[in-house]
Amino acid sequence: MHVYIYDTFLGDKKFARTLAKIEARITDLGLSGKIGRLGVAKKTIDLVKDEIKRGAKTIIAVGNDETVEKIVRCMPGPETPLGIIPIGKDNLIAESLGITAELPACDILSARRVERVGLGVIGDFHFLSKISTTADNFTLRLDSGYSIELKRRGPIISIVNLVTADLALPEGLRFNPRDGLLRLLIEAREKKNVIFSRKNFESVFAFTKATVICDKPVIFNNLIKVNGAIEIEAKKNALSVIVGKNRQF
Amino acid sequence: MFSKTNDNSVMNLKEVETIVGPSVKVKGDFHCGGNIIVEGEVEGSLICGNMLQIKNGSKISADVSAKEAVIGGEVNGDIKVNGYLEITETAKILGDVEAGIISIAKGAFFNGNCSMTKDRQSNGKEEKKTAERGEQ
Repeated sequence: MHVYIYDTFLGDKKFARTLAKIEARITDLGLSGKIGRLGVAKKTIDLVKDEIKRGAKTIIAVGNDETVEKIVRCMPGPETPLGIIPIGKDNLIAESLGITAELPACDILSARRVERVGLGVIGDFHFLSKISTTADNFTLRLDSGYSIELKRRGPIISIVNLVTADLALPEGLRFNPRDGLLRLLIEAREKKNVIFSRKNFESVFAFTKATVICDKPVIFNNLIKVNGAIEIEAKKNALSVIVGKNRQF
Repeated sequence: MFSKTNDNSVMNLKEVETIVGPSVKVKGDFHCGGNIIVEGEVEGSLICGNMLQIKNGSKISADVSAKEAVIGGEVNGDIKVNGYLEITETAKILGDVEAGIISIAKGAFFNGNCSMTKDRQSNGKEEKKTAERGEQ
């Protein structure tokens, strides 16, 4: 059984027509299933766990990058694949996975091309794409025996698992979410790339495990508060995801 | 910024694994199996399994080891390169250098001993002997 999890913002009337189109396409493809809605009443983790316990064959995140990350945090492992139907703005994760729009996403679900990818873990918080901070009051100690310190204040620091189109990577760099590595990117002093408004990066380090050490709180993604020390780790093959032909890896 | 280079090096790094930018200081034993570009500071030891490029403006206080290297920055420590070592005119090296093949540009500052890798020397002699036998 397919379980479609709609994000809360899809309750807005402006998405009604899009959802109707998607539902019609899903029915045509014989992919009909159950619809669950994220909301205040039930926690995402309970919703996803309950559906997997009831025998969900695929969990499909319907919404944007935030929806995908919310559901990824609740997926218990790679046994049940995650599908994505992108709606609205901010769908960079879907784009990286080769899923460009709502209706082609339904066809991609039907083709069911499943890839295993890694996830990043900070504390007990899992992420598929990246976590970022502008804090500079911490040291990053990498598993391989060295530490990284910043000589200037305030650059954006990102820890990346899956590269999205908003990151302008230096020429010659190739990232793959299947290689079991995370990348630490430090933003360049120059302003953003004006034409594409993408962030340029001056430093890149690959690692499997690192520790963030700070004496004052550091906040990643306005969500994860680190105080003291916390481990960041790459978890290889932690998620099965349905991808399109034009995926970026 | 990565496509531009101030060093007149012949090395072309098509795939880079690590970039130490100008605003970063790395402390400790820095090991990497892939290609590395250094534009910042490194303290401790620097071991690169493949190609290493130390750019003008960077400061390395460490012993350096790599398969091949282009050095255009400041290095305080010994350098060991198995293959080709290129020292460009902006380089400042205070330490001993050991390499298979070496080129030092005019204007480079180098204060230390220089030796060629033994394996390379013996290979060279064998190649010469084989060539002489071939001629006979």
